[in-house]
Amino acid sequence: MRVRLAVRTLSEICLTLGALIVLFVVYLLYWTGVRADRAMDAEIDRLQDRWSSGAVPSGDTGADGAGSQTAGSTGTGGTDRAGGAGRAGPPAPGARTPSGESFAIMYIPRFGSGWAKPVLQGVGRSTLQRGLGHYPRTAGLGEPGNFAVAGHRRTYGDPFKDFPRLRRGDRVVLTDGTTWYTYRVDARPYRTLPSDTAVIDPIPAKSGYRTPGRYLTLTTCDPEWGHSHRLIAWAHLERTAATSPDGVAGGPRRG
Amino acid sequence: MYGWIWRHLPGNAWVRALISLVLVLAIVFVLFQYVFPWAEPLLPFNDVTVDDGMAAVR
Repeated sequence: MRVRLAVRTLSEICLTLGALIVLFVVYLLYWTGVRADRAMDAEIDRLQDRWSSGAVPSGDTGADGAGSQTAGSTGTGGTDRAGGAGRAGPPAPGARTPSGESFAIMYIPRFGSGWAKPVLQGVGRSTLQRGLGHYPRTAGLGEPGNFAVAGHRRTYGDPFKDFPRLRRGDRVVLTDGTTWYTYRVDARPYRTLPSDTAVIDPIPAKSGYRTPGRYLTLTTCDPEWGHSHRLIAWAHLERTAATSPDGVAGGPRRG
Repeated sequence: MYGWIWRHLPGNAWVRALISLVLVLAIVFVLFQYVFPWAEPLLPFNDVTVDDGMAAVR
């Protein structure tokens, strides 16, 4: 009797553990994606609402103390105009956006025509669950220096699932509501170690760039489900264009 | 374990089955809402930044 009880309890525990593991896999593969897709769509909606209502880049609204000069001039000037690119000093969304808030949308046609993800400030865990994250100490979007962005390869919506398919000449298009920034990828993804922070330097040594410029760095994990390495892609800013007043909603224009 | 729970649930078989279902759903909810989000960072899928994500230390 005693043996039977022991065997039965043991089998029940094994069954329970098995069910627990299956549930956890379902959570990772499916549920994090559902949640992340919902969060990313919400971030994109919020950005587009903000841009279409006031056309004020998030940097100005977010840091009213720090960016008071720009915010003041924009507020009294032409708030109804979206032509912020013509200003002498374009706002630096990356530098001013509070941590965890979105400030741009990224499009990578190589990942599919419908691929559009919000870019948030910071690379904290909860930030990366809602979109791509901008390394806070790197240059802002379109600024001289290196605009570095991290994203999940797997789980949480798999934003960088197709990262290894990036090739020289691929476009990475970003918008901050006032300007389209088109970057061109310059090489196949570069594999490196997690400690190799030089890849997000203003002039990354391994990228082949030698002169200061406006660069973009994308980072994700490698192998797909592991964390032993990182995949890096570098791009340079090719052209910028002001958005048409109603242009952001439709996605990037062909360039 | 499960037999013990079953015996201690009130009501007839249908009521017990219903209560069991509710219990299972509650456990799944707690797992998805609290336990798995806690356990997930312990696994490697989150490390996508250089220097393990900490604020781009240079």
